This record gives sequence, structure tokens and C-alpha cells, in this order.
Amino acid sequence: MTTKTLNIQVNARNRAYALDGTSNDKILNLGLSNAVDLPYECGSGTCGTCKARLISGEICDQWPEAPGRKFLKLKKGEFLMCQCAAKTDSVIEVESFVHTMEAGACVPAPLKGRISSVKLLTPDVIFLQIALQQTVDFDAGQFMLVQFPEIVGFRGWSMVNYERHAKTLDFVIKKKPGGELSEWLFNNNCDGVEVDLFGPMGNATFYSRLAKNILCIAGGSGIAGIMSILSRASQDGYFSQYNGDVFFGVRTMKDAFFLDELSVLRGECGEKLNITIALSEEAAPDDARTDYPLLTFDQGFVHEVAGRHMEDRYQNLRAYLAGPPPLVNGSIGMLLRARVTTDNIRYDKFS
Amino acid sequence: MSKNMHVCKLSDIPVHGIMDFVIGSGERVLVANFRDKYYAYNGNCPHQGTCLAEGFFDGAVLTCSKHLWQWDITTGKPIGLAESPLEGYKVEIEGDEIYVRQANALKMAELFSDISTSTQDRLVQLTRREEYESGSVLYDLGDTTDDLYILESGRVEFELGRDDRTSAAGFILRKGEVFGWAALLEQQPVRIAKAVCVEKSALLRLNGEEAVKVLASDPASGYLVMRQLATLITRHFTSSSEK
Ligand SMILES: Cc1cc2nc3c(=O)[nH]c(=O)nc-3n(C[C@H](O)[C@H](O)[C@H](O)COP(=O)(O)OP(=O)(O)OC[C@H]3O[C@@H](n4cnc5c(N)ncnc54)[C@H](O)[C@@H]3O)c2cc1C
Ligand code: FES
Ligand code: FES
Repeated sequence: MTTKTLNIQVNARNRAYALDGTSNDKILNLGLSNAVDLPYECGSGTCGTCKARLISGEICDQWPEAPGRKFLKLKKGEFLMCQCAAKTDSVIEVESFVHTMEAGACVPAPLKGRISSVKLLTPDVIFLQIALQQTVDFDAGQFMLVQFPEIVGFRGWSMVNYERHAKTLDFVIKKKPGGELSEWLFNNNCDGVEVDLFGPMGNATFYSRLAKNILCIAGGSGIAGIMSILSRASQDGYFSQYNGDVFFGVRTMKDAFFLDELSVLRGECGEKLNITIALSEEAAPDDARTDYPLLTFDQGFVHEVAGRHMEDRYQNLRAYLAGPPPLVNGSIGMLLRARVTTDNIRYDKFS
Repeated sequence: MSKNMHVCKLSDIPVHGIMDFVIGSGERVLVANFRDKYYAYNGNCPHQGTCLAEGFFDGAVLTCSKHLWQWDITTGKPIGLAESPLEGYKVEIEGDEIYVRQANALKMAELFSDISTSTQDRLVQLTRREEYESGSVLYDLGDTTDDLYILESGRVEFELGRDDRTSAAGFILRKGEVFGWAALLEQQPVRIAKAVCVEKSALLRLNGEEAVKVLASDPASGYLVMRQLATLITRHFTSSSEK
């Protein structure tokens, strides 16, 4: 079957872009894969950032119940670019400045892969590795959209690993009670399952020419992207010059994972890297300190623990935040009070 | 002159705090207190319409909770990531009551936001307010660059190219946005795009040569306008900023 080529014109505040696509392409993905930096945040229908207005033509909304639609003015013809594909030649309008990506940016593209390794890390966190059919370059801290057969819709998952020309991607996924895909992963043998991906996405990225101290605050599976950032920083010897403060929030020691990996990173990177595990529902047991002498343990919500430990060490700093929206919002409030400028606050809300 | 609209009482606004109200006209107005002054702005974020009262306010800087655009509360000027200023109202206080009035579009324009009040007032004197029906062509490719335009309401779109081979080249829809800025540049005698009102629109027109004369008599302000102009042009033409 041949799919008809459609012309999709995107009118942005500063200029228009002409894109050739098909009725299978989500408009956001089509733009991004042509290096047109359309606005988005989650890429998966929840945040509303990718909203656009249909001027002419017809579109197909592939997820009419998307929570992000609550941010739309439906009467004005607004829709979510991450959930809609064009059915005919179309003209749409995006109410912001849209530029093309810089030379050297990791331009997102559709990819195919297969689950090559699965491991349970805690009763509700699973590690997944996806072997790709082709290699991919991404920045530390980015995420992929991943779709499983027979489960509708893409999920955003942050990469744990960092390498150039990656052949495999590592993820950690937390079980969400009632969550369709995460529960499916816990109840089925997914080894060998073929998946579709789109990415890399996200701008909570780290690169060594940043030349700033870094502060990472993560809750639960939010540690994924932070592991990628630490991995890149470690490979580049970044912490010989700059400080790194990492705060990883979990409820209890039973929910903690990657403590061995974090200890190794701390060992490799030396004293300028501080890693604190914040337990929200219990005081740190004594054996935690003896088992992981290179890590610090404290009690409280992770952004509060971070606030206590950072005190006045916010100069020349870039912050990375990842995890559930309340954690990210609480951390943003704390950073603004500490006068961290917004261009140095990068976050992924796992909504 | 626009009329006063009642918003709230002074005592409704927390000290160094913010509060929003929906006023008689249906507009959402954010009122902020800083030191002994009160400021009023459109209560919806100029980025994607998020309610600004849900944002963070530290007494001087307002941050939208959604994508962290920020503004100086005393001027409404964008800081950091923000690409547009806040849309301000004139605040009038009578006894314990706060009233707001629509502000002049030129005074809201980022292009003129840094200059001395007297020069701003002289420029306001020079403006002509005109209303256009949807479909009106303000200028076409190759026309001489006489006036600079400031949008008060409505929407203007730009096109490049001629006849059947035109392509969309952006649009303007916020109060205080300036276009046709080539009128301020000596080396740019003709229009390089076509500008069309695509809704009923109200515009302030300002003759470029006369504006330059006023600015020449206040070189400090003139310099600030040219610097803002450079920023504006960069925003429209450069590729992506650092991610
Ligand atoms: C930038 C980003 C990075 C993330 N990184 C991680 C990570 O590293 N680890 C992790 O555990 N979680 C991560 N998440 C959260 C993750 O994407 C899922 O929301 C979470 O795993 C729960 O998925 P679920 O299928 O169990 O829950 P569900 O509630 O069933 O679905 C969750 C999400 O899937 C999408 N979805 C559901 N149904 C449809 C449909 N019919 N059509 C289209 N889309 C649909 C929506 O985005 C929805 O919010 C991230 C989220 C974002 C936005
Ligand atoms: S990017 Fe489309 S809803 Fe978040
Ligand atoms: S909606 Fe306010 S910053 Fe985006």
C-alpha cells in the first residue's frame, strides 16, 4: 500500500515551515524529525505544550481523551500536535517562535527495537533494555517515546545509559497502580517484544561544555535521566573541576535501587560528587550507611532534603529535576527562592 | 481615553503578593503589590495562557508555573526565558479601591520600554490610531517604508514573495507588538514583505522619519531603541537558541 504524501504547512510567529508527511505521522513528530523545533514537553498527550490551531484541512485525533486537551480552546480549533495526524493537506498555526534545530542537534526520528533484557529492581521498579535496529545518538538526560504492540499510545521513558552511537537503550520503569503499560510489564514476559520508538526528545540535557556545578533532584524512576547525566559527566572527568550534588528520593530503603551503581560513580568521580538518598517514610537504617559508605542518607521529601544540604551553594549552577509533578514543582519553588535563574532549571515531569 | 474598570480593594492584595480577579469586561486581571505600589497585568500568561496567579512570586519577579517565563513585576518586562512582556494596565487608586485602565499600546511596546517617559510621551503624540477591516493590506512588497506600526488589537500576518507564489512569514497578535520596523532604518527604503490584517484590527502608526528625529534629540533613548530593535530582529530571524 502506498501512503499519499500530504503537505502540512506550519505557520509560526516568525515564519512558516512546509512539511511533507503522511496520515500516519503525528504532526509533532513530523516537525521534529525535519529538525523544526516545534514546542513540546511530554510528547505524550498530558502537558498541553504542543498545542496548535487548525487553519485549514482535516486532522485525525488519535487520543481524543488525552488529559492535555484540558489546556485547549476547542472552539478555536486547537489540538495537540503530539496526538494528531493530518488527514488531508493542512495549514496549522503555532502561537510561538519556532526555529530550526542547531547543526549537530540529535534530531529525533522513528526507530525500531526489541526488548533484550528485563530485570526487577524493586517490587515496583523494572529495568528494561531495548536493542535497536540502528544506532542512535542522544544527549544525556533525554527521553524516548516507546510504544508496545497492542497497547495504544507512546510512553515517555528517560534513558539511563549514555554513549555515542548507542545500540541499546536502558530504562527504568516504575509500576503505576492502574497504569496500562507499566502493569502489563510487571505481569507479562516482555523479553523479545518488538517495540516502536520515537526520539530522542527533551531539553533537560547535560554536556560537558556547560562548565557549571550541577544539582540533580530525582524521585523514583526520575533517577533514570540523572544516571545518564552522571554517566556522561564521569566519562568526561567533569567532577574533577565542578561540583555535583545528587538527591535521589524514595519512600523506604526497599524502594531504593541503583545504590551500587551510584556508589561506583561516586568512587570514580571523587569528592566533588555528593550523592544523597532521601527517604520520605523512614529514617535511614544503620546498615544502609555501612553497606553504602560512599552515599549519604537523610530523611524527608527529596526537595526539602536538597534544600537543607545545599544551603547557599547555588552559585554557577545548573539544576536537573525529574520525577512526579509535585516533586518537580516543589523543587522549582525551592530553586527560585534560592535565586537560580530559570534557564538553569531543566526538568522532566513524569506526568 | 479608555475608562476605569474596578478590580478590587487594596486590602485584597497580600503584602508583596499577587491575586487575580475577573473584572466586569470578562478580562482576567492580575494585581501585584511591591513596596508601596500596585501593578496590574493581564492574568493569563502571554506564552500559553496559563493562569499567572498560580505562578511563583517573590515580591519582585513573577514566574509562570508552566514553562518558567519570568517578568519584572514593576515593568512587566520579560526576564530570562520569556519571549514577550506582560500586557499591563494603568493602575488608579481611589481610597481603598483599585481601578485599571487600558494602557497605550506604544507604552507597552518592548521596543520603547526602556526610554525616558518624556520621549515616550513625544512619540505617543506622533502616533495616529487607525482601525482596519479584516483583509486590509497595510503595505505590500516594494512599498516605501514610511510608518512603523504598533498593534493595539486584532491580528496582522506577513507574506513573502509575489502573486501566486507567496509564503506565510509569521504573524503578530499581541498588544504592543511592533512591525514595519524598517521605517526606522535608513538603509531599508522598501518593504520586503506584505502585511495584511486578518481580523478587524486597531493599530498605532508612527512615521519613521519623525520618530528618528525625536530619538535623535534624546540619544540615550535612541540608543536603547536601536538595541531593542536588534533583539527583536534577532528573535525573528535567527535559528534556535542554546537548548
Ligand atoms: C518526559 C517524560 C519522561 C518519563 N520518563 C519515565 C521513566 O524514565 N520511567 C518511568 O517509569 N516513567 C517515566 N515517565 C512516565 C511514563 O511515560 C508513563 O506515564 C508511566 O510509565 C505510566 O505509564 P502507564 O502506561 O503505566 O500508565 P497509563 O496511565 O496507562 O498511561 C500513562 C501515559 O501513557 C500515555 N497514554 C495512555 N493511554 C494512551 C492512549 N490511548 N493514546 C496515547 N497515549 C496514551 C499518556 O501519555 C499517559 O499519560 C516519563 C514521562 C515523561 C513525560
Ligand atoms: S507535548 Fe503534547 S501534550 Fe505534552
Ligand atoms: S504558559 Fe506560561 S510560561 Fe508557558
